[in-house]
Amino acid sequence: MTSETSSQLTSLFSNSTLNRIERMRLNPLRRLTNRSRGEHLSGKGGSSTDFADYRDYAAGDDMRYVDWNIFARLRRPYIKQYLHEEELHVVILVDASSSMLFEDKLQRAKQLAAAFGIMGLMNVERVSAYAMHQKKDEPWMLPPGSGRQRIRNLLQFLEGVNGGGDVPIEKAIETMLRFHRGRGIAILLSDFLTFSDLSRSMNLLFSAGLEVWGMQILSESERNPSLEGDLRFVDSETGETLDITNAGELLSLYQDHRRWQEQTLNQQCRGRSGRFASVSSALTLESTLFDVLCRQGWVLR
Amino acid sequence: MSWPGFSFPFGAWFFLTLIPLVVLYFLKLKRPRVEISSLALWQSVVNDQRVNSPFQKFRRNLLLLLQLILLMLVILALMQPFISAGPETVEYLPVLIDCSASMSSKVNDADETRLDLAVEQVKGMIDNLRGNGKIALFTFSSGGRRLTEFSDDSQLLLRALQKVEPTDRASKLDEVLRMAEAYSRTASVEKVVVITDGNLNDQVDFELPFKLDIQRVPTGGNNLGITEMTARRSGPESWDVFVRVSGSATETAYADLRLLKNGETIGKEAIEASVEDSERVVFSVESKEAALLQATLTAKDFDSLQIDNSVWLNLPNTRPLKVYAAEKLYSWQHALSVQTETELDTAAEPSLPEYDLIITDVEDLKGSTAPIVVYNGLVPKELQDLISVAAVTENDTPVQIMDWLQTAPLLRHVQLRDVQIAEKAKYINDADSQALEERGYEVLIHGAEGPLMLQRRRGLQTEYYFLFHTDRSTLPYRVAFPILVSNVTEFALQQASLSEVAATATGVLPAISVAPNREYQVKGPLAGTYNVTSTPSGILVGVQAETVGKYDIFDGEELVASVGTGLLSSLETSLRPVDEIQFSEVRVATDEVKVIDSDRHIWWSLAFLAFIFLLFEWWYFQRAKGGLAA
Repeated sequence: MTSETSSQLTSLFSNSTLNRIERMRLNPLRRLTNRSRGEHLSGKGGSSTDFADYRDYAAGDDMRYVDWNIFARLRRPYIKQYLHEEELHVVILVDASSSMLFEDKLQRAKQLAAAFGIMGLMNVERVSAYAMHQKKDEPWMLPPGSGRQRIRNLLQFLEGVNGGGDVPIEKAIETMLRFHRGRGIAILLSDFLTFSDLSRSMNLLFSAGLEVWGMQILSESERNPSLEGDLRFVDSETGETLDITNAGELLSLYQDHRRWQEQTLNQQCRGRSGRFASVSSALTLESTLFDVLCRQGWVLR
Repeated sequence: MSWPGFSFPFGAWFFLTLIPLVVLYFLKLKRPRVEISSLALWQSVVNDQRVNSPFQKFRRNLLLLLQLILLMLVILALMQPFISAGPETVEYLPVLIDCSASMSSKVNDADETRLDLAVEQVKGMIDNLRGNGKIALFTFSSGGRRLTEFSDDSQLLLRALQKVEPTDRASKLDEVLRMAEAYSRTASVEKVVVITDGNLNDQVDFELPFKLDIQRVPTGGNNLGITEMTARRSGPESWDVFVRVSGSATETAYADLRLLKNGETIGKEAIEASVEDSERVVFSVESKEAALLQATLTAKDFDSLQIDNSVWLNLPNTRPLKVYAAEKLYSWQHALSVQTETELDTAAEPSLPEYDLIITDVEDLKGSTAPIVVYNGLVPKELQDLISVAAVTENDTPVQIMDWLQTAPLLRHVQLRDVQIAEKAKYINDADSQALEERGYEVLIHGAEGPLMLQRRRGLQTEYYFLFHTDRSTLPYRVAFPILVSNVTEFALQQASLSEVAATATGVLPAISVAPNREYQVKGPLAGTYNVTSTPSGILVGVQAETVGKYDIFDGEELVASVGTGLLSSLETSLRPVDEIQFSEVRVATDEVKVIDSDRHIWWSLAFLAFIFLLFEWWYFQRAKGGLAA
C-alpha cells in the first residue's frame, strides 16, 4: 500500500472526491422530515426565524406569535407562522445480491451509497444504510445516526459489504422496514433485475414516509449485450438456466424490454414522490455524481 | 396423377440413417453456458418472443429440420425416382433401329440426322432401364443385324449404340423382324420397339408374334435425289441414258443434274421435281468403248439427303452380238440372220473362245463359252438315266405339249400349243420333274410323258436344252419360232449388256468376269481395300458394296474394272413416312406422337433441391453464428 493510498479516508473514492461530496446536499422533492429538529425546514409552523405564513388566531394559540402590527391595522388577531427546521432521514439500501457482483456494479453502488450518506451526514440528517441480500453471517445494517462522526462508520460499513446473497429485494425491503422509523428518503441502489413486481415494496416505503429514489446500476454488458448463437444462460443468483436460440436475433427485443423496465421503474418512483435514474457501471463515479445526478436534480452543489 | 416409381427401391433402407442423424444432432447440441447476472429480462424476452412467434419451436430446431430434409432428398435421389411414361413394363425388349439411307437425312441445319434422334431416343430407353428389364439392340436397313444380346448393362448397350451408323441401303423390315422373332424364342418377348423415320414399305409379309411398337423420329426437310439411271443402246455407238430425279416436298425443288463420262462432264440439265412430279432426263451419249458414267445432282436449296445425289453406271463396249449357230441348224441360222447387230458364225465348229450366244446340236463346244447356250436335240449326260428320247413311231401316241413356263425369258409370247414333234422324251426309272430339279434342271416345256425343254444355270451361264430336235418338229414353221429366236437374242444382248444397262444399287456388286481362282483387291469409296477371290468359273461375285460410290477392282497394280453404285430407291429418296404398315394379319400404326415414350428421371431434380437446401442450411448456420453482433 502506498503512502498516498494509506492517507485516503476510504477505499471507495479519493479524498478529493470526498471533499467535493461534502459540499453537496441531497435535494428531496417533498419535505418529508422528522419532527426532531434538523436542518431541513418543515412546511409546518415552526420556531425558526424564517417567516412562512399567516393564519387566523384560534383559541389556545400561543399569544407570542400574534402579529400585533396586523392586529393594530385590521383589529383582528393573526398568528404569524415560521418555518420549522426538522431532521431528514436518509435510508440507503444497497443491493448486494450476486447479480450486483457483475462488472463492478456493487462497487459503484457502494460508492454512490457512501456519497449519498456523506451528503446526508454533512447536512445533519439521520442516515441509515442497509445491504440487501447480504449473507446471513455478515453485517447488513448500519443503524440510523447523524453527525460527521458517523461518516467513518458509514464508510466502514459499506466497505465491508461483499455481496453474493440471494434474498429477493422485496423481502429485503420488508425486513428493513421492520427496523426503520422516520420520514425522509429511501435510496435504492440496485440493478432491479428481479422477477417480482416492486410496486408493493415501493408502496411500503412510501407509506413509511420515505421518498423512493431508485438508482438502477447496470453493467455495460447488460445495457448493450453482445451475444450470438445458441446459448444457455445461467442465473447467477438462482442457478436456473434458460436456453436461447440465436441470441443475436433477440437483442433488439432485449433492448425493448430493458427500456420498458426503465420506464416502469421511473413511473413507480415518480408516482411515490421519488426519482429514478439508470446509470452504467462503466461510467466514472465523478461523472455519475457531479454530472448525471446534478443535471437530474438529485443533488445540489 | 401418376406417382413416381423408383429404379432402386432398396435405397429406402438408407432412411434408417435418419435415426443416427437425430441422435447425433441432440448429442452434439451442447449450448455454451453463459452466466449472467439475472434471467429476469431474458426470460421476459423469450416469453415475448414465443408469443409473437408461434413457430419458435419449429425454428429452434430448424437446423435439424434442414438436415433431415437434406438427407431425405439425397436418399430419394439415390433411389432414382422416375415418372413413368406409361403403365407398361416389359422384361425383354428388342429395339430395332432403322439405319437405312433415309435415316442419314438431316432434320435441321445443325446437321443432326434422323439417326441421331433415333440414337438419342434409344439412349433414353437405356437410361430408363429398370428392374429386370433387358434390351437387345438390332439395326436394320435392307437386312438386319443384332448388336447386343438381351442385357441390362447400360454401358454395354451404350457402347453398342455408339457403333450404329447409317447405311446407304433401302429399308426392309421383314428380315430384321424374323431375326427378332427367332431371337425372341430365347426369352419371353411381349413387345418389340422399332425406332424409325417411318420410311418403310407399307406392306410387310410377316406374321407378328408379338406386339409391335413403331416409334417415328421427326422428319426433316426437303430432299431431291436420283432414283433411277439406265442406258439403252440407241445406235451402233450411241446410248440413251435415262436419269430420273424425284423429290420429297410438295413444292417444286430445283437442282442441277450433271452427267460425267469417265470423270468429264458431258451433259447438264436444270431439274424441277416434287413428290408428285418426278423428272426423267435423257442424255444422248456417244461411246464406243466401255465407259463409267456418273450422274450428280446439286440441289439449289436445302437437301437433307446427300447420298442419293450420285449414281454410277457402267456402259459396255458397243459391239455386235456374237452368235454361233451350228452348221446344220439352218432354221436357226435363217432366223438369226435377220437380227440386227448380230455377228453370226456358222462354221462347223466354234472358232472364238467366247460368244454371246451359242446354238448347237452337239454337246462338245470345243472350248468355247457363252453366257447363253441353247442345245438342240440333246439330253444332258447327267440326266440320261432319268430321260430317254426316241423317235415317234406310227403306233406311238403323238407328243403333246401340255404346258410351258411363259414367264421364262425365252418363251415370252411364244405359242407352242399346236407344235408337232417327231421325237418323244419320256421319264424313265420313275423320274419326275422333282428329280430333275434336284439335279439343277428346271423344266420349261412339259410334255405329256416327259419334259421337252430344260434350263440350267451355271454361274453366269444359262443353258437351255431342247430335248427334241427343232428340225424334227413343226416349230420352225410356226410364228412362235421367230419370236423364240428374237427372245433368245434379246436375252443374249441383255446378258452381254449390249442393249440395256442399269445402274447398280448398293448392296452387292454385279458379277464381274475375271480370271478364275484369283485374288483381287477391291477399293471402295471408303478408305481401305479388301480382297475377293474369283470363282473357279472366273467370276467375282458377292462383292460387298454398302456405300454409294465407285469401286475399283485391282489385280495387283492393274485396274481390272470400275463399278459404281447408287442408292436408287424412290422410297428412301421420298423420305415419306407411312402412317400404317400392313402385316399379314394386322395393321400397325406408326405414330409420331409416340416419339417421346421414355421414362423421365427426376433424381437430378432432387439432387439439385438438396444442393439448394445445403446452401440454405449453410447460410442459416452462418447467420445464426454471426447473429447481429456485427
